[in-house]
Amino acid sequence: MTRRLLTVMAATGLLLAAAPAAKIPTLDETAYPRTVAEHKGKVVLVNFWATYCVPCRAEMPQLLKLQQKLKARGFDLVTISADEPEQEGQALQFIQKNSIPAPFYRKQAKNDDKFINGIDPKWSGELPASFLYDKTGKKVKSYFGEVNIASLERDIEKLL
Amino acid sequence: MRLWLAAAVFLGVAELAGAQTFTLRGPTGVETIDPGASSATVVVFTSTRCPISDGYNSRLKELFASYSAKGVRFLVVNANGNEPLAEVLAYRTSHTLPYPVYKDEDHTLADRLGARVTPEAYLLKRDGTVAYQGAIDDSPNQARVKQHSLQEAIDAVLAGQPVPRAETKAFGCTIKRTGSSTAR
Repeated sequence: MTRRLLTVMAATGLLLAAAPAAKIPTLDETAYPRTVAEHKGKVVLVNFWATYCVPCRAEMPQLLKLQQKLKARGFDLVTISADEPEQEGQALQFIQKNSIPAPFYRKQAKNDDKFINGIDPKWSGELPASFLYDKTGKKVKSYFGEVNIASLERDIEKLL
Repeated sequence: MRLWLAAAVFLGVAELAGAQTFTLRGPTGVETIDPGASSATVVVFTSTRCPISDGYNSRLKELFASYSAKGVRFLVVNANGNEPLAEVLAYRTSHTLPYPVYKDEDHTLADRLGARVTPEAYLLKRDGTVAYQGAIDDSPNQARVKQHSLQEAIDAVLAGQPVPRAETKAFGCTIKRTGSSTAR
């Protein structure tokens, strides 16, 4: 009976859905500039968030809406979870629940101090934090704390 | 001679500015804090709603137990505009925190020190100058801690030695000031 049930589940893809979820790709401070450079020719916002950060979770749907709205005009959103390895499951769940599109990453830092300074020396490590890059890959603005979406959209519009 | 006098006046003012007292609201009302009254003063900005800040309670308890006996004053401060004093005091009780907690109303002290994250520590010397600022240690997961940055800084100040690392950074929650994000 159990074998028959498993066969039916496999045939309908139910087993696949229950399989362990994939890992979030990781990114360290040395790979970060390369990741930003991959988006040259487009305006890109890199958003750092974490599952423990309430305002991060609150602003994510707005960032996703903005990405949908401006994607066709050359705007990319890259999200990087600052969660610790122990929280990877929760982070992945959040990504899946909110349908956060790739590219998404989880920070891999041997030393958070070095990682934070590698992204932006003016950044104290507070979350959320977002960094806006123009089409040449040059950082034009850093946002520490929750962004004002209307103001962010105006900033992006100037660069598109 | 005039130049020397001007330099002396400037240095005097700078020293005075460093030694300035500040006020915080505690359970019994507004207190004036004088860094000159302790061998060193630790200010840690924390939050009642930030899990990363929560995760440091036991480490702060240990530091408090070890160093308050050595004349170091601990000020655990909440500067978040959305966490009122009553909530901060209730949090202290529910988490059995042995140290007093303070409210930095209008985030005046946080602004003065430039604090933006919880948890974030500042170590003030007797003259009021900042000897160390930043992370308590280098990992939210206590099992992975390799650098006890705040503790090393306290030890150095108490020994009259230079602080090994004067500034470090760590991920944490934003101090909720009235208004929106900081764009730079």
